[in-house]
Amino acid sequence: MAESEYILEVKNLCQHFTSGRGRKKLTVKAVDDVTFSVRRAETFGLVGESGCGKTTTGRTVIRLYNPTSGQMLFDGRDIAGRMNRKLREYLTSNIAMIFQDPIESLNPKMTIEEIVGEGLKVRGNRNKEDIRRQVVQMLNKVGLVEEHATRYPHEFSGGQRQRIGIARAIITNPKMVIADEPVSALDVSVQAQVINLLNDLKEEMGLTILFIAHNLSVVKYFSDRIGVMYYGHLVEVAKGDDLYQKPLHPYTRALLSAIPEPNPLTERTRVRIDYVPERDHDYSLEHPSMVEVEPEHFVYCSPSELERYREIIQNA
Amino acid sequence: MIYDRNNLPEELLNLPASDFEALYQEDIKDEKFQTKPVGFFKDAAIRLTKSKVSIIAFIIIGIIIILAVVVPPLSPYGFNDQNISAKYLPPKMPIVEKLGIMDGTRVLKNRKVSGLSDTDRYPEGSIIEYFNVVTAKGQEMCDVRVDAYMLAGMPDGEYHWFGTDYLGRDLLTRLFKGARISLLIAFFSVLTNVFIGVVYGAISGYYGGKVDIILTHFAEVLDGMPYIVVTILFMILFGSGMVSIILALTITGWIGTSRLIRAQFYRFKGREYVLAARTLGVPDRTLIFRHILPNCVGPLITRAMIAIPGAIFSESFLAYLGLGIKPPNPSIGVLLSDGQSVLLQYPYQTVFPAILISVLMIAFNLFSNGLRDALDPTKRGEE
Repeated sequence: MAESEYILEVKNLCQHFTSGRGRKKLTVKAVDDVTFSVRRAETFGLVGESGCGKTTTGRTVIRLYNPTSGQMLFDGRDIAGRMNRKLREYLTSNIAMIFQDPIESLNPKMTIEEIVGEGLKVRGNRNKEDIRRQVVQMLNKVGLVEEHATRYPHEFSGGQRQRIGIARAIITNPKMVIADEPVSALDVSVQAQVINLLNDLKEEMGLTILFIAHNLSVVKYFSDRIGVMYYGHLVEVAKGDDLYQKPLHPYTRALLSAIPEPNPLTERTRVRIDYVPERDHDYSLEHPSMVEVEPEHFVYCSPSELERYREIIQNA
Repeated sequence: MIYDRNNLPEELLNLPASDFEALYQEDIKDEKFQTKPVGFFKDAAIRLTKSKVSIIAFIIIGIIIILAVVVPPLSPYGFNDQNISAKYLPPKMPIVEKLGIMDGTRVLKNRKVSGLSDTDRYPEGSIIEYFNVVTAKGQEMCDVRVDAYMLAGMPDGEYHWFGTDYLGRDLLTRLFKGARISLLIAFFSVLTNVFIGVVYGAISGYYGGKVDIILTHFAEVLDGMPYIVVTILFMILFGSGMVSIILALTITGWIGTSRLIRAQFYRFKGREYVLAARTLGVPDRTLIFRHILPNCVGPLITRAMIAIPGAIFSESFLAYLGLGIKPPNPSIGVLLSDGQSVLLQYPYQTVFPAILISVLMIAFNLFSNGLRDALDPTKRGEE
């Protein structure tokens, strides 16, 4: 099979959560009709406000949830189908995940060696010395020392714990890492440290990263392409610079206008744009869909909006 | 950027990139910790030893366990050695007897004063004193304090520290033999309860959904049945041996543990570290027993420790109903139930088992309180 350009292709992915039954049945469309693709060895950023479905998308890709409908291809292989042992093995050895909360994501009752070595053990490595050697190697890679292997998570700082989380994720040599807001619980100086570490590892190991975050400046610094999500929909996908220079979807504009400026003089005059879907869109006559406005720049819009967006691009 | 950089001085706007210098660029290299690693149980032990009450409770439990192990084989009397001539002897203990308590004497009420000189009935020296002399129907009556051991014709140097029962069996030996059996029943019933409860609760809590509904309802139905009736039927079916008592205490005993474990699993199964382990492909069994269960160990140990005095008490209760362990084996409950039938005449037969069971239960409760505090994760690292 010819290697496709994309390592991960997600098509019309829906993830609905239901509660109750009969008349009380309630459906939450956490992810609704999301389509995007991730290239090999690139960093794809997924941004959006809290509760817009970024994390759910990431967790569905690694099959912590069973998708309601839609297609997911990883390396050309379908990963949205029925869960069985083979698929789980395939998924877990190719995709790894880094979690948001450095305190929550490490088991307080296990030593660092057990936590980081877990992935090797699951893969049938029974040789304790070999596991130990690999764990220490990995700890060195993320800037920790051998002595730390015998310690428990509560003895580490937030940044250190997040680096342990990274070590745990990449020790099995995955092809792709889903980083679910890996730095949002850390302070700024440590954020930089962790992001740089991720960047180095990415280059060294040829990793593909699906980077989920709500901090736009971090995403901009880190990502090759960025997808913007709003209430379960992916509303705009573009290259990092394109998105920042030519935001088309009103929600993207609103999101970008919310970034504080480092310069106090311009910060004072910064104007925030509101996004009100009822005012900004008129979908009563025409249905919106994902359209490529210019190469590599997709927007979720209706035909009339598309005209307007094209004009904006041409004038820019 | 989409905003005007208004009001900025020109020289600030056009700074060349070469003017900027990264503050730090070196690799991250953390230092070794200076402190010693402290594991979960070590930490708990440190905090447990800081609580004086728990230490005392622990020592008391230890002493009782040691006595239960050591006393029956070391005692000159077997727990089932019967001696009809030595029945109902009051407690007599060396050294303490000089204080006037536990000296092997008993007060006989309403005796004829004239009969006191009859050496067939009262061997020489057996009468210590007589008092309350009254005359009724021309007869002089009195109360007599006698040396019960001499009266029963016991040789000198015969000591039953806690007295004897209606068959002349030594109560000290029987009490600690009984404590041994009671403790064994308690330990093993709690152990089986914890084992069944953990597996049942873990499955019910981890898988949730339909499995959980079915398992929880089954436990509720079982819990709804009258406990005593079930136990009695059980004992009728299997006889009253130690094993059947343990099983009888297990029928409904595990339900509490399984509820606790189920709740703990609901609490922990959605945690990010469990999700993280799932993304690594850790199988369910490992997730349940290595990732989630160790986090429930604190409440579990505490609950088991609290359940031990409960089991001892339940066993005594069953013995009281006549469902106790098969004679001649004693248990604390059997001794209490035997003793209470002659409570007014021979109170010592009830007092000693009662003291032992009370002390045991208080000690276990205090110790498990201390354990609960020590194992409480929110108090970790304090002091």
